[in-house]
Amino acid sequence: MSSASTAAATRPATEAQPQLVIDNVSKQFGEGPEAVLAVDQVSFNVMPGEFVACIGPSGCGKSTLFNIIGGLLGEYVGNVMIDKERIAGPHPAVGMVFQEESTFPWRNVLDNVCFPLELQKIAKSERQDRAQKFIDIVGLQGFEKRMPSELSGGMKQRVSIARTLVSGPQILLMDEPFAALDEQTRLLLGDKITQIQQDLHQTTLLITHNLTEAVQLSDRIVVMTYRPGRVKRIVDIDLPRPRTSDVVSSAAFGKYVAEIWGDLREEASRGMAESESSTATRGKSARG
Amino acid sequence: MASTDQVNAPRATASRGWITSGRVSERDTNLIRIGILLGVAAVWEAVSRSGWLFRDVVPSLLAIGASIWKLLMNPAFYANLQVTAWEVFASLVIGGALGIFVGILIGANRFLAAAYEPYVYYLAPTPRIIFFPVMIMWFGVGVASKIALGALSCFFTVALSTAGGMRQIDKVLIRVGNSFRATPWQMGTKIYLPAMRVPVLNGIRLGFGTATVTALLAETKLSNQGLGFMIMQIYARFDMPSLYGLLIIVFVIAGLGNLILGKVTGTSD
Repeated sequence: MSSASTAAATRPATEAQPQLVIDNVSKQFGEGPEAVLAVDQVSFNVMPGEFVACIGPSGCGKSTLFNIIGGLLGEYVGNVMIDKERIAGPHPAVGMVFQEESTFPWRNVLDNVCFPLELQKIAKSERQDRAQKFIDIVGLQGFEKRMPSELSGGMKQRVSIARTLVSGPQILLMDEPFAALDEQTRLLLGDKITQIQQDLHQTTLLITHNLTEAVQLSDRIVVMTYRPGRVKRIVDIDLPRPRTSDVVSSAAFGKYVAEIWGDLREEASRGMAESESSTATRGKSARG
Repeated sequence: MASTDQVNAPRATASRGWITSGRVSERDTNLIRIGILLGVAAVWEAVSRSGWLFRDVVPSLLAIGASIWKLLMNPAFYANLQVTAWEVFASLVIGGALGIFVGILIGANRFLAAAYEPYVYYLAPTPRIIFFPVMIMWFGVGVASKIALGALSCFFTVALSTAGGMRQIDKVLIRVGNSFRATPWQMGTKIYLPAMRVPVLNGIRLGFGTATVTALLAETKLSNQGLGFMIMQIYARFDMPSLYGLLIIVFVIAGLGNLILGKVTGTSD
């Protein structure tokens, strides 16, 4: 078993150049004594067709990283490179799926998925054909004319995923897309994601705090430390593909979860202790 | 997947008793509405025939019905209606357009909001009729001063609901637009405008109400045409059946206008 490695390049299918390079990236919010270092010298690569999860406790700066890669955060230190180009704004090669419910409530499913193609001024019939393809892929055929208010949370999140995929991103970037869903829906949606990734060879970077989700879906997992967010370890997940959610009951799966949880627990408890003590001091100062 | 995908279906809950929740059947409410109308008419007619009040203060329904008919046959009524309708329409267009413009500015810019919002909030509930003398001096006693006053009252309603709508926009939708690299024009037309549609249209609908009230009120104060002027004319003659008749007609027209606006904008409830 390979762990704690940077040896993704040894993977037979991925001898090519990395699709996404994250090189020594740092981000600080605020100035002077109030400043918070959210991300500290983070480096890792994502290879073409690879599924990488970035996992860490709340407050490890993973959402900051998501926004930097998505180009929504502006200034940062270090380099995020796609096609040898430094990210300094939303990049056409990156497709983002947000944690929050983000479908347009005034558009039906089909029109939601058509949105990015509309921005590119693609002809109506063509964009509907292309949107339909991705509606089928995420399994929402028959719901094209439904409004988001008529859909369940899992279905809405699939609309968002289809909407991002239809724009043809080289890298699919997802920030806890299943955070608001129950565990069963999450596992089944995980199957869908795995299938999409395998069928389309979609390079994907998933930001999550959910360990089983990360192991279920990923080729590699980047474990982040609690504030400031650093790379603690990168773990290769050698579970067989094609995978389904059944993988969660295998012994190998349990081993990975246990191994990564060891690292993660340290960071999570550090985060918990810190937030508890800061709440305590806040409470004291409020009383005093 | 199918097991996890439940389409939310509206659930009808019925309960008995005075305190009710859930849906009320449309037939029942319609019956009650007709009942209320008939009840009021019966009481009215009884009071009218009893002779307890001064003659003609509560005229009989027949007399009111006849006066409504007479009014509807009277060309002067239509001339006055046209004047008032034009005043309300012009107020709505001028006040509404300015209101949307200022509402977007205030809603979009936190600095502008902090600077201007107190004024808007304090001025909004002030009865606009107190500005009528000023408007008369600026715009004369004719139609223009009523339009100016109507636009002023409409402006605040529309500006406040537009600013509110602007601020209520779900921030993640803006991030979605940015992530797909929408141009500022696309952000405006495909995200901001549709996301604000309901509050803005609601504001316009409320603005229609305030513009109507203000125009009529101003006409009753100082004017030589319009429905408000006609009401005061009839009042001066102490022609009570016609006065009630005209009030009923104005009530129906205002209600219809609101209904049509609600249907057109899709904000009717």
